Amino acid sequence: MEKLFEDMRQSVIDGEEDLAAQLAGQALEEGIDPVMAMDEGFLKGISEAGRLYEEGEFFLPELVCAADAMKAALEILDVELKKNSAGAKNSGKVILATVQGDVHDIGKTIVGAMMTANGYEVHDLGADVPNEEVLRVAAEIQPDIIGLSALLTTTMEEQKNVIDMLSEKNMRDKVKVMVGGAPVSREWSSRIGADGYSDNAMDAVRLADSLMQ
Amino acid sequence: MLMTGQVLSSEEIKKIHEGSIRLLRETGIKFPGERAMDILEAGGARVDRDKETAYISEDMVKKALKTAPKKFTLGARNSAFDLEMPSASSSYNLDGTGVSVLEYDSGSKHAAGVKDIADAAVVFDDIDIGTVLWLPAAAQDVPGGARGIVGTGTAFMNCRKHFQDEVKNIREVRYVMEMAKAILGSEEEVRRRKIYSVTYCTVAPLSHDREMMEATMELTKYEAPVLIYPMPACGTTGPASLYSNIVMANAEALSALVLFQLTTPGTPLIFGAALGIVNMRSGIFLEGAPETSVQLMAMTEMGKYYGLPTIVAGCLTDAKVPGMQAVLEKFLTSMPLVLAGVDVVQGIGLLESSMTLSLEQMLIDEEIGRLCRRLAQGVDASPDKELFDDIAAVGQEGHFLKQKSTRKLFRTDEFYLPGSLIDRGSYDEWTNMGSPDMFSKAHERVSAILKEGPKEPLDSGAEKTIKEIMDEAVAKL
Repeated sequence: MEKLFEDMRQSVIDGEEDLAAQLAGQALEEGIDPVMAMDEGFLKGISEAGRLYEEGEFFLPELVCAADAMKAALEILDVELKKNSAGAKNSGKVILATVQGDVHDIGKTIVGAMMTANGYEVHDLGADVPNEEVLRVAAEIQPDIIGLSALLTTTMEEQKNVIDMLSEKNMRDKVKVMVGGAPVSREWSSRIGADGYSDNAMDAVRLADSLMQ
Repeated sequence: MLMTGQVLSSEEIKKIHEGSIRLLRETGIKFPGERAMDILEAGGARVDRDKETAYISEDMVKKALKTAPKKFTLGARNSAFDLEMPSASSSYNLDGTGVSVLEYDSGSKHAAGVKDIADAAVVFDDIDIGTVLWLPAAAQDVPGGARGIVGTGTAFMNCRKHFQDEVKNIREVRYVMEMAKAILGSEEEVRRRKIYSVTYCTVAPLSHDREMMEATMELTKYEAPVLIYPMPACGTTGPASLYSNIVMANAEALSALVLFQLTTPGTPLIFGAALGIVNMRSGIFLEGAPETSVQLMAMTEMGKYYGLPTIVAGCLTDAKVPGMQAVLEKFLTSMPLVLAGVDVVQGIGLLESSMTLSLEQMLIDEEIGRLCRRLAQGVDASPDKELFDDIAAVGQEGHFLKQKSTRKLFRTDEFYLPGSLIDRGSYDEWTNMGSPDMFSKAHERVSAILKEGPKEPLDSGAEKTIKEIMDEAVAKL
């Protein structure tokens, strides 16, 4: 079994999506506790990938592929994990989106990978996400954090609009909002009433950790 | 293809060569010394002994070019650092020869001493693009006659790379050759491995310095490579056009080539240059000027035309401290040489028209050198780099972060990874580090390198002998 866990860890570190999914399936077939598979296998792999990235050893492609391998395994194990009341380790539930009118996907994808690497359950809604869609998903899955990315000075306004809409729907105090993107600043973040800003993926995780406390 | 550049057309190169031949033949070159006169006369030159001037024919130049080797290796104390000449890409000398050292902490200069040379040698050892250590400063705490010898010994003890200096007096030759022998074990190995070479400056206009000439002629007996280094300054020691200054510098270089090939046929020669212009208000020799840079690029092309390895002055500045002017001028005087395909840029670490050494500047210059090297690599359009399948797989929108080729190819040297001096992080990451500038980061690394000390000290026997030779030089020279 230890060999299987080791393969799981390695599949995530290597960013081998298909292999990770296959190993997750194998674990279920062999009747291995999915919580164990996550904690001893995949999660250890993803936190190792996160560590390698922080230390400058990994580049973005390695990090993003590791996160996707992790997600592929999670999808297979998810049903079983949900049946188990104890659940796997989870730092928090996060929705990420690049705001409406803005197609810049990469920065947010990197933050998502890094948060995944640090044990967050990340729901990446993609780019150019309509504000209503952010609210709809938020109402549905009840995240701890919403992360909103904007790369353009013309679209950063949407970060404010989403926050205002959350307030109108009385959802604002149930969720923390993080903002980021090239034109965004700490000053802008406080002006629009967000809970925090970071200018890189590693700080985004630290910010999320502090918001979760 | 690789990125290349040229400043002279093939007709201009020919014109410069012909102009230089005309100067050699008609105006002549002053070689102050009987021995040189004898050798040149025997080699076919018309000589005027009263004027100590020799008139050299094109035929003599052609013969000298035939006997000068086109390929050789500048050996290093540790053979892993041997440098093939000519080399596949441009590397860097430690620049010489200054008189003072800029202190990071006080921001002021002090007279260079033996300790500074040792420190510079240790830092140079750590610099990947650095291949040839020229003594960066003359140690003012050593009696004048022994400075070269003490500097040489100090460099040998602290750095594993090829060492280059000047022999200013014939009496120095025995000392440096004894040192090389102490390291390599035998005179035969000294000849074979060539861990020591000299820079030989001609004296503009159209002359040679007696003592340095005789010392260098003596040194050729040991097959030590000689870097020929004319340095006329346009408007003062050279004529007031870049073109004519190049013609004259080239004539001086060819005159040295002829002399040393006649003295010892087969002597390995390196074609070099340190031409410049002057500040016409003060007369100060200007190194960091665009006119200096194009002249040096032109001389690189002349060296390549003659088929000789090249080491040419570059990475130069007239700025007094590391900073904007220094970086601007050093890049301005590095890149053209690299584009011309120079073997070694001479060199890193000095400020103030090569008068002041800065250990921090050495590391900043390393980054400049690495950037130039990357630029020169150009765009690789080989089949390995055809990623059309990836483009098709990603299609419209989406991204390439997850393509296997992205992971693989970003690890190759097509993509430049800067050292710790260049900041490529975000604003917050930068402020969290205390908003460091290049200079302070360079200082941090200098401190770390010096804390570690020499990478590979000499064995105790060789070190003892070298110290004895240094002591003897201090007592006798």
